[in-house]
Amino acid sequence: MSDNTRSIGGQAVTIKLAMKMEDSLQAFAIRAACFIGEQDVPYSEEFDGHDFGATHVIAYLGDEPVGTVRLRWFQSFAMPERLAVMKRFRGNDIGQLLIDRCARIAESRGSRMLYTQALPQDIKYWERHGWRRLDAEDTGKGPKRVVAMVRPVDPSKPLPETEAPESVTLRKEPQIDSSGLPVGDRA
Amino acid sequence: MTEQETAGPSNRPEITIKLASTSDEMMQCFMLRAAVFMGEQECPYWEEYDGNDYTASHLILYVDGEPAASIRVRWFAGFAKLERAIILKRYRSYGLFLPFVRWAKEFCRKKGYPKAYLHGQKRLWPIFEKDGFRKVDDKVFHFSDHEYGAFACDLEVGPDAPTVLTDPMVLNRPEDRLDVPGILEESMERGASCPHAGWTERRAS
Repeated sequence: MSDNTRSIGGQAVTIKLAMKMEDSLQAFAIRAACFIGEQDVPYSEEFDGHDFGATHVIAYLGDEPVGTVRLRWFQSFAMPERLAVMKRFRGNDIGQLLIDRCARIAESRGSRMLYTQALPQDIKYWERHGWRRLDAEDTGKGPKRVVAMVRPVDPSKPLPETEAPESVTLRKEPQIDSSGLPVGDRA
Repeated sequence: MTEQETAGPSNRPEITIKLASTSDEMMQCFMLRAAVFMGEQECPYWEEYDGNDYTASHLILYVDGEPAASIRVRWFAGFAKLERAIILKRYRSYGLFLPFVRWAKEFCRKKGYPKAYLHGQKRLWPIFEKDGFRKVDDKVFHFSDHEYGAFACDLEVGPDAPTVLTDPMVLNRPEDRLDVPGILEESMERGASCPHAGWTERRAS
């Protein structure tokens, strides 16, 4: 795993898991700033009902929360998503620190694969960091197009073909109704 | 006064304003502020969430059910302070600001506050003046990178404003619906069984 320390202006970047309500709010606020504020994503899409079944990882510069990623747990893989770093702190590799922490948590839970859905313009970035794309049968269209990518939790142990096949079918995660039960595909 | 809807032709968006009364609605207010202040205006987290969020009332405005705008209100003796007023970028052309501020002032007035007060960013002064706010003095001050002036607007408190002599069950109502019976009035149907009376008597004897 890559070097796990970064500092900006002499101040160290620290990473921690959200443990308290205030921590979670910080994670949510960073995402709101980046996705709702900068990218104009509607609130109801950003806060999609999966936040309370996930692990939230937060990056701090001093006391200031500056980045976050949400890690969701599946039976055969862990899924980092909604990776966000505040605009003025980008370019310092904070995103990779967050992903590295995801890999370590996944490893400690016996998970061997990280899976994510990347935007087409970000594929090169992920490939530079050891991810490879899966050929997806349906990646959606236009601005909603996403690309499935995987990487082994431990870079020295490549994923067996049975676990990371060459192609997958991307399905929209079912929406959750008010009782917390999936309501099925609304496509 | 809550769930105020401007029912227009069917292609007009449905605007709903209410007092945030659940943790979800509070979260929506906080996230809208993060989007605008942290995302657009680069305000640091600890300046945005300054420690006063849990002593305040939060108002939220929805456009077709989507969280779109919020205002925080803090209660001082004799005046209510409107602050952290924001509208999400995509809704800024909808003309929501003045109706929302008026709703907030009406909310304060119905609670019996004779004055609304705010710190207006200099670029927005004409808008506040148009809405009946006047500068309280000539001072200009600054915090979080912006210049501000203090404004106040008198509110006409009516005879129905709450006092200590108001019907106690009116004071128990949700604060944005003081004119509608609340859930505690429904509980009156159960009568007063005084479940702890015996316990208190035992301690006294």
